[in-house]
Amino acid sequence: MMNRLSTNKTVFAWAALTPFILLFAFFMVYPLIQSAFLALNQTYGPDTRLFVGTKNFELLIEDPVFWTAIKNTLIYSLGSLFIQLPLAFGLALVLNSRRLKGRSIYRLIFFSPQLMGLAFVAVLGALAFEKRAGLVNRTLAWMMQDAALLEIDWLQEYIMSTLILISLWLYVGFNMIYFLAALQNVNNSLLEAAEIDGAGPLSKLRHVIIPSVRPVATFVVLLSMIGSLQLFELPYILLNGNGGPNNKGLTIVMYLYQNGFELGDLGYASAVGWALALMLILLALIQIRMVRKEEASR
Amino acid sequence: MDPSSRMRHACSLALLSLKHLSLGVWIIVTLFAISGLILLTKSDRPSENLQMWVFSPEHRAMYAPMIEELQDRTEGDEKPIDLSLLSREAIKNRTMSGFLGGLPTADLIEIERAYIGQFFQGPQEAIGFHDLTDRLKAEGLYDQINAPSLSPWSVNGRTYGLPHDVHPVMLAYRADLTESAGIDLTQATTWDKFFELLKPMMTDKDSDGRPDHYPLSMWITQQDNIELLMLQGGAQLFDTQGIPTINTETNAQLLAEIISWCAGPNPLGTDIDEFTAAGHKSRVDGDAIAYLCPDWMCSIWKMHVPGIAGKMKVMPLPAFTEGGRRTSVRGGTMLGIPKTTQAFGQSWETAVELYTAPEIARELYRMVDIISPIRSLWDDPVYAEPDPFFMNQQKGLMFIELAPDIPIRSSSPYNYNAVLEIRDSALNVMEWTKNQSDWTDDQLLEQVRSQLERAQGAIERQMSRNAFTGVESK
Amino acid sequence: MSVARPSKLSRSITHFVLIVLAIVVLLPYAWLLVASLKSREDFFSGMFFPPGDGFLGISWESLTLSNYTALMEMGFGRAAINSVFYASTSAVFATFICAATGYVLAKSKFRGRAFMTLVVLGSLIVPPTLLIAPSYELLFHLGLLDSVWGLLLPTFAPAFGVFLFRQAVQQSVPDELIEAARIDGCSEAGIFMVIVLPLIRPMIGAFLLITFLGMWNNFISPQIVLQTSSKQPLSVAISQLRGVYRTDYGLLMAATVVSVAPVAVLFLVLQKQFISGLTSGAVKG
Repeated sequence: MMNRLSTNKTVFAWAALTPFILLFAFFMVYPLIQSAFLALNQTYGPDTRLFVGTKNFELLIEDPVFWTAIKNTLIYSLGSLFIQLPLAFGLALVLNSRRLKGRSIYRLIFFSPQLMGLAFVAVLGALAFEKRAGLVNRTLAWMMQDAALLEIDWLQEYIMSTLILISLWLYVGFNMIYFLAALQNVNNSLLEAAEIDGAGPLSKLRHVIIPSVRPVATFVVLLSMIGSLQLFELPYILLNGNGGPNNKGLTIVMYLYQNGFELGDLGYASAVGWALALMLILLALIQIRMVRKEEASR
Repeated sequence: MDPSSRMRHACSLALLSLKHLSLGVWIIVTLFAISGLILLTKSDRPSENLQMWVFSPEHRAMYAPMIEELQDRTEGDEKPIDLSLLSREAIKNRTMSGFLGGLPTADLIEIERAYIGQFFQGPQEAIGFHDLTDRLKAEGLYDQINAPSLSPWSVNGRTYGLPHDVHPVMLAYRADLTESAGIDLTQATTWDKFFELLKPMMTDKDSDGRPDHYPLSMWITQQDNIELLMLQGGAQLFDTQGIPTINTETNAQLLAEIISWCAGPNPLGTDIDEFTAAGHKSRVDGDAIAYLCPDWMCSIWKMHVPGIAGKMKVMPLPAFTEGGRRTSVRGGTMLGIPKTTQAFGQSWETAVELYTAPEIARELYRMVDIISPIRSLWDDPVYAEPDPFFMNQQKGLMFIELAPDIPIRSSSPYNYNAVLEIRDSALNVMEWTKNQSDWTDDQLLEQVRSQLERAQGAIERQMSRNAFTGVESK
Repeated sequence: MSVARPSKLSRSITHFVLIVLAIVVLLPYAWLLVASLKSREDFFSGMFFPPGDGFLGISWESLTLSNYTALMEMGFGRAAINSVFYASTSAVFATFICAATGYVLAKSKFRGRAFMTLVVLGSLIVPPTLLIAPSYELLFHLGLLDSVWGLLLPTFAPAFGVFLFRQAVQQSVPDELIEAARIDGCSEAGIFMVIVLPLIRPMIGAFLLITFLGMWNNFISPQIVLQTSSKQPLSVAISQLRGVYRTDYGLLMAATVVSVAPVAVLFLVLQKQFISGLTSGAVKG
């Protein structure tokens, strides 16, 4: 009886695992290994290839376009992060108050842009940030009563600012939700104790609220970084597939796409992919480190 | 338990657990079922028809009746032709991914000049389009086509598509404004004379802080116009072997002159959007007097800027130096036949029919003002028709007269990137001028030289990555 | 939380700021919706509604649905059905496969479990962008380029889902319950279907929604894998529309509305699950 049961269990276990294992092996393990080999080749499409050894990586290090892409991506990631986080946290603080009327509606509204896919946001953004006819410039010109504001060339000259502005619209509400959840964990008795000690709102924020939100903040920072380092759809569609003047709007994944799927060099694209992976893995390791530290100090 | 009761048991268990699922699960599972069913009924077998991709709504409108007529005329094993309209980028992406991925694409594909380079990126024998050179020569078409019009579609003397157009460029100007100011712009044989003649019109009578009429609609961000002007002045970004020749003295002097039109506190050129409604309004308002006008631009204005009808005239471009070239070229399209086609014979015949038929050429000119690259068609009376939009000038003949003079263009896969680098160079020099209180022509030229050196280096670096094309750079 | 009672003034300031921010967030939607109802001629007249002599000084009769009918004529309806199919198929299969795998990894004891858990969790740090090029090459060799399965199969086994379900099972399925069911003679599959699935119901709902949304909004995979236009989803179809009809703003706006509206409706119906699903961190960036 026991024996039959345990074979049953094993049969079920493997039956349940098989689809995952197969798909995982095909679409995760194999491509991962293959990407290492591809990076050592120059290709023209998947069928024409030439072994070039480590040349791709050597070229990559000397490739100023690649460094421009890295610079742009970092500017976007850090820029959007440092504006996003305080805003998201501030909103969460305000919306956390139970006495505030309509807080669930506000929450819903601020969160909603997150639902719109980046490809769709990009199409809308391209129209909204257009010179003269776009929503943004028209609103600015109307508010300031200054027709010169209609001429701001967001999509060419200020593409990075445009991307950051769009990212604020998209992600502030999203990150706010994390902070709202974190604020639930703030220890009420600590707050009361602080109040009894005569702490003002600012010192309560500094000594009680921020320390208890910090783990979530770390998580949000790293999550946003990992996401924004892989930025692709927004600039790709906004700039019609190229990097804009002086490649001002070129991101790392755009550069990967251009090389692999427009020029057909999957090898160089894989090299770019590895460089990006290195950055992301580094970030992930930092995250694991910080979580450990957090747990240890608890 | 016998098997059937076990089955029933399992089914009831499954149903039981479904009861516990939430609304969201139900909605998504229902969507899955419905959309799956709809797609099952629509499952498309690959079409047997010949596929043709075009990116211009006008082309589709022109070809459709012609193709129908072709089908009526021929009998037997000819397949019907499906004509699809896609965006330029979509055609490029799909054709490229088809070629790279070994997938079938269309049988006839129109490719825009800006994107053709990508198809010439790999080894020459791996180019996805049929080499049409021998066919063209065998059927005597090669000599009939305006020679410079073949250049963008040819690599090492082999031609991969039928040219659709010539796209010579003239200067279009607001003749109503110049004439009422008493200026005869046709005297402007050089750019220097042109700006000299129009300077009196740059006064600011409405005192809005800007001149009432800028001489030329041209700005440093418009890479197509920069390329056009550079080509007119004899710039070559690549030599015949495909080696980049961006950093030359000719190019530097040309670019410096072009930049000087836009730089400084009182620029001669102005930034008017070429294709937006806002730009069209500026054209009606006369913000600029003159425009760099390829033949196809005429139809865009006719469609979107009726307000300037009967006010414009065209004339050959002013030259950079006395006696220099009076025209240039901008844009272009070819019709290619992918190697994956199952019906090369019919594709070829259709291509030749569409691109050489006098009816289509006539239609092309009437509908979108584009002149045919086939020289034997140039004496067609349609080109001599006076055009009321341009004060009844016979602009067709004027464009044709310039057609043989258009510059030769490189088909280098890096040409588009090189043009972008030139534009970036110009932008960087402009940026430099903004930080200077004053500068001399020589200083400007020096800046341009160093920028072109940078651009040349960038392109060489890109090319050195490509082990396939076999071009050794320095 | 006990906070000093805010004064009336500070409360109205808070509301004022919140309302302004809400308007900033909502304005693009309103603009989108209204512009999709404007004809090409009217697009530049008035920032929102075309001015006229109707109610509120708006020319109501010049609003039109023609952009939407034009879209349908252009085969945009097919792209919408494709999007629904890809998103829901991917959601259903990924949820089921990940739930089963996560359950087994959490509760079954078999040789290789620790190793497999390690591999799955380790793969979480592999950025998806690294796999774009080699996956394309693999699909090419499998003959799956330009096929629906080439697009869908790679989305059926996200390691992240396994991680989430493994956690959910560990947290909310007690071992005793499974043992008890086993003693009652329930089959292993039955235990999974009847006992486990209902217990991890919140995760199922949330994960279905995030995979649905993720696939609906996916742009790069269909752009690379699919080639035939009748197979393309909305995200790709709309970006291609932009080239040909660049100047036809109303049409583009209508296309965006069609692409976003279904998700918006779904969201309004299921907002709780959406928010908990999205904040589990899958769909970002």
